[in-house]
Amino acid sequence: MEFKNMCTRKIRQGLIDKDFSAKEIVDYSLERINNSEEKIHSFIELSPDLAYKKAAELDDFVAKGEKLPPLAGSIFAFKDNMNLIGTHTTCGSKMLENYDSTFTASCVKHSIEAGAIPIGKNNMDEFAFGSSCETSAFGPTYNPWDLERVPGGSSGGGAAAVASGQVTVALGSDTGGSIRQPGSFCGVVAMKPTYGIVSRYGVVAFGSSLDQVGPFTRNVYDCALTLNALSIQDPQDCTSHPLDVDYTANLDKDLKGKKIGVIPDFVETDGIAPDIKAAYKDAIAKLKDLGCEIIDVSLDHAKDAINAYYILGPCEAFSNLSRFDAVRYGFNLPNSNLDSQTSNSRGTGFGNEVKRRIILGAYLLSSGIYDKYYYRAQQVRSLITQDYTQAFEKVDALVMPTTPNTAFKLGEVSDPNTMYLSDIFTVSLNIAGNCGLHLPTQIGQNSNLPVGIQIVGPAFKDENILQIASNLEKEYKFYENYERITRNF
Amino acid sequence: MKTMKELPEIFKDWEAVIGLEVHAELTTLNTKMFCGCAQSFGDEPNTHTCPVCLGMPGALPVPNKAAIESIILAGLATNCDIEKETMFYRKGYFYPDMSKNFQTTQGPKAFCMRGHLNLNIDKLGAKERTDIDLNEDGSYDTRIGIERIHMEEDAGKMIHVGGSEGRISGAKNSFVDYNRAGTPLIELVTLPELRTPAEARAFMQKLRQVYLTLGISDCSMEKGSLRCDGNVSLRRHGETKFGTKTELKNINSFKNLHDGLEYEIKRQCAVLEDGGTILQETRHWSPSDKKTIVMRVKETADDYRMFPDPDLAPFSLTDEFIDGVRAKLPELPDEKIERFVSDFELDSSDARALVADFEFSELFEKCASELDKSQLKKLSNLIVNNIAAHIKDKKCSIKDTKLEPQHLVEIVKLASDKTLNSNSTKKVLEAVLDKGVDVAEFVDNQNLAQSTDSSEIDAFCKQLLQYNPDKVAAYKNGKTGLIGFFMGQVMKHTQGSVDPESANELLTKLLNE
Repeated sequence: MEFKNMCTRKIRQGLIDKDFSAKEIVDYSLERINNSEEKIHSFIELSPDLAYKKAAELDDFVAKGEKLPPLAGSIFAFKDNMNLIGTHTTCGSKMLENYDSTFTASCVKHSIEAGAIPIGKNNMDEFAFGSSCETSAFGPTYNPWDLERVPGGSSGGGAAAVASGQVTVALGSDTGGSIRQPGSFCGVVAMKPTYGIVSRYGVVAFGSSLDQVGPFTRNVYDCALTLNALSIQDPQDCTSHPLDVDYTANLDKDLKGKKIGVIPDFVETDGIAPDIKAAYKDAIAKLKDLGCEIIDVSLDHAKDAINAYYILGPCEAFSNLSRFDAVRYGFNLPNSNLDSQTSNSRGTGFGNEVKRRIILGAYLLSSGIYDKYYYRAQQVRSLITQDYTQAFEKVDALVMPTTPNTAFKLGEVSDPNTMYLSDIFTVSLNIAGNCGLHLPTQIGQNSNLPVGIQIVGPAFKDENILQIASNLEKEYKFYENYERITRNF
Repeated sequence: MKTMKELPEIFKDWEAVIGLEVHAELTTLNTKMFCGCAQSFGDEPNTHTCPVCLGMPGALPVPNKAAIESIILAGLATNCDIEKETMFYRKGYFYPDMSKNFQTTQGPKAFCMRGHLNLNIDKLGAKERTDIDLNEDGSYDTRIGIERIHMEEDAGKMIHVGGSEGRISGAKNSFVDYNRAGTPLIELVTLPELRTPAEARAFMQKLRQVYLTLGISDCSMEKGSLRCDGNVSLRRHGETKFGTKTELKNINSFKNLHDGLEYEIKRQCAVLEDGGTILQETRHWSPSDKKTIVMRVKETADDYRMFPDPDLAPFSLTDEFIDGVRAKLPELPDEKIERFVSDFELDSSDARALVADFEFSELFEKCASELDKSQLKKLSNLIVNNIAAHIKDKKCSIKDTKLEPQHLVEIVKLASDKTLNSNSTKKVLEAVLDKGVDVAEFVDNQNLAQSTDSSEIDAFCKQLLQYNPDKVAAYKNGKTGLIGFFMGQVMKHTQGSVDPESANELLTKLLNE
């Protein structure tokens, strides 16, 4: 049986038809991961016991003729900032290298309850601070399209695992682009749902007001199916507000009369790679052909989003990461003096990028400084949100690039500020709390790397961007390209 | 340092500016502030914990609705404005008892803002203040502003082993019990409007009454469910700027609050009059040494890096919610005093004394319904004098004694119809409090009933007047104090078994014939 390139729907149907068992899928996946991990390194930890346990449960369902849940048999990997009992949750950090999850994150629990098989935990930039997966304390992940290149980050492990066919679906978390940017670098469907659609309970926080969990998949249908499973009211996260929506419902509806907004300023600036520009223009043309009306809009304050983000993010991160103090758990350098124990443990347990952001956050929140930065950044946040609200009065969705560039080489970007700029098209969505999806469309002519576009929708209209993505997917059929890389692993 | 002046002398030249911060644990709630863990007091350490209150990575807080109701109740009962749009903040500081290394608390806008409490400072306390008009009974009334009441979570408890006095310095090991971590706390901050230690004590007592009446906390200063910090500074009369303040931390009784503040005022006065300056410092009142000791000097303000907690959505309380809470407001102490005065015809000082302790007023009301109005003064006296003295002596509360309301009703009835005189009444009451004896049986066995047959006394009194004609004449000429002589003779003759009140009545009648 050839499982490679198989989507969730086909796996579930195969189980129902008894073409194969869930156990066979796990056997196959583990073998495939073991054969490719040396090259890709998308995992920090595998969880074969949990995977076989879930497979046995599903096979039992089949044997008893019970109805299979919607994600039955789909091989899932979780970013290693998501707690799962029976695994460590390292956040890609030495600080939590030996930390055993004490509970299971709601998004993980909801996936598994919907039939997903938990195969392991994906590599990531340390505590999700990064755009290349290079800050992981356990070594970088390599881009399956070109092993000399980064997969993007921070959820780079998940994007690489899906692109290379190690897993069917991976869950990432997106604070400023950490799902969409690696999705773009690795050429997979990558979605940041509206803030509040998916529970954050059990996902180790970076910027609580910005973090959102979302899927990496090889096709739009799997993305919508996964969102259905994740979008569940969670009494343990008081910022969770899921809607009772079937995200697969609109996928086959055409786009006639849809109004698509474009922001000419975004693509006319320098520093956008020609392949990215070409992919963007091509997608706009396709949307016109599909009956969409293209309308110019402006997001006047979006240019300030990156500044606001690099204030709000570190402030929240500083506070969220305060709990790692070597007292209850985590990396510890014991010392007879409490202050020394705390600072030595944190100084050694955290990597440089983490320390950079903690120090930045501590500074930005200090008295006398707070008003100048944090408070102003909150004001900018309101303005950006307002810009989006006004834009969405005129259009159903926006289309823009996801990243200015295709995947860069490992070690190529060493200046933090340049690295931060790779989030320029993604952060404003986290700031405003609305939804965005990266859709891979083509292989770039110059780069020979995947390129695509970002589709952005208003908050709680996630089904709209899925519908647009689904229609474009039918045009581009990007999934046909996966065979090109999966045969390498 | 030269000998310190007493308060009345100090207050001739100086004004004390006192503010209080009062923490109350919402002990009556079932669960913690942001998780479903049970609130426990005195259980095995770390048995009531979960990922949320232990600050495990990925855990998120969810506010306890009942706690929000409690603080709104506290705000309404202390005349605060309820802020509908408010939120939680994070206050950052590293200490192992704070599992997340930030405390979830409130920012500039608390749930309750701008309230006040009315205080009556009794005759004794009034001696500390010279610049205010007194009521007839020597007390005075004042109103103390409340800046805010905000909601926050308590920290865990640290236990240091191997050092001196359980302190961290020099300790071999330190342990943390997170059972208390996340206990809902409300912190009330007064305006700096208190002027004497007596006012500060009265404020705390009144606030405790209010919280107990609301049923939101057991308010035990001993166990620490009600804690208080006091700030105090001095300034010359007429001065509008504040002097440098010192802070007394973790005061655990009304007496210590009063005495600690009194000492600080005296100390600060001595320092200032000696030409010295007050350092802004945190001090600890040591009741055994009768002085305050420096805990730490505050050179700069702590930087807590406060910012809105992004895990907790801002609140937008509806009128419906607030009105729902308002409907649950019980009768408050001031209202109860008024009712006791009007319904039971008590004078206001008796009413205040009864209402001062929730158990007193509860017992009073239970008994009052079975007694005549004329008997209520006696009932009130027995509660606020005899019973109060008994429980103070035994360091217990009424519910720890054997007394039932029915006992007290019987005793009051027997005392009112003169079957029991004051000494016998006391005896019966003590026996009931200690052993819960049957009142009628006890009076019988102990032969405590005084003769209700007045003819014998009547004859003795008449004889007494006959044998002392000169004293009778002197009495009639205005030396009315001689009644004491006659009373003494009667009491001696009857060996105290006669009711003094009726004997006095009889003698007065005979002498004026």
